[in-house]
Amino acid sequence: MNTAANTYLEKVDRYLRPLPLSERTDMIQEIKSEIAELEAGGVCIEDILARLGDPKALAGAYLGETIAKSRAFSWKKLCAIIAFYSYAGLGGVFLLPLTSITAVAFMLCGVLCPLAGLFKLIAFWLGFDIPQIAFTIGRYTASATAMFPITIAVGLILFLLGWLCWKLTTWFIRSVVLQKRKVNAL
Amino acid sequence: MKLEEWNSQIKRGTLEFCVLLLLEPEVRYGYELISILEQWPMVAAGESTIYPLLRRLLKDGLLCAFWQDTAEGLPPRKYYSLTAAGKTQLTAMKNHWNTLTATIQTIQEGHYEHSSEHISGKG
Repeated sequence: MNTAANTYLEKVDRYLRPLPLSERTDMIQEIKSEIAELEAGGVCIEDILARLGDPKALAGAYLGETIAKSRAFSWKKLCAIIAFYSYAGLGGVFLLPLTSITAVAFMLCGVLCPLAGLFKLIAFWLGFDIPQIAFTIGRYTASATAMFPITIAVGLILFLLGWLCWKLTTWFIRSVVLQKRKVNAL
Repeated sequence: MKLEEWNSQIKRGTLEFCVLLLLEPEVRYGYELISILEQWPMVAAGESTIYPLLRRLLKDGLLCAFWQDTAEGLPPRKYYSLTAAGKTQLTAMKNHWNTLTATIQTIQEGHYEHSSEHISGKG
């Protein structure tokens, strides 16, 4: 590779500066490879450089494709970014704390509720009454024996609600990640 | 002048198709593609067109590239090949192209039906 070729490549590299170094190196290597091949084929360097054209124009052609893809200001992208952060921000402020806390609370209650029923039942069998534990809906108060199956059912429902809240939490996080990817791809 | 512009528009629209077609049977490097295309003035394109085009096709995921050393002691070459998405796109392009050429053929030969009612309606 002679000095004329190196000067040419350095110029192209300088004009390609807006691009990341790794991509720039790749492009320069590719052009270098072509120059070497043409030289080996007996073409003189002046003809090769004439063929490649003005270094600024060559770099500009690369940049043109890239800028059109990623650097141009686009209303679509701006709107997508605003929409994304509104969505993620709103979710972070309201949805996530609500669903994650209720998920844990519901599941915990779902486990505690039948335990309380069992406790009351065992106490009843042993001849105690624990007035602190009772199942009451309106004017109906369940007896100690009826209470256990009721608490199991209620516990299951609570646990299911907690599980759904948990699903909602993970679903929201996943959808935020997905949206972010889409915005980045724009 | 008008014809030149028309030609360049056709070239711009078909070059991507040509590059994908050339990469269908085997992997090729940038200069190889340029020198193959050079033999046909209708699709001949210089370095400043092909390299950025290849770069865009890479970014779009239609092509993938790898560097390989040459046997002749030259610097390594960057070879391009079609990805699965590239193959799908090429198949679609072939279908569209065949439809287009068949359509133009039909129009050129006048083998199509048309009712003169639209025209007589105007008059």
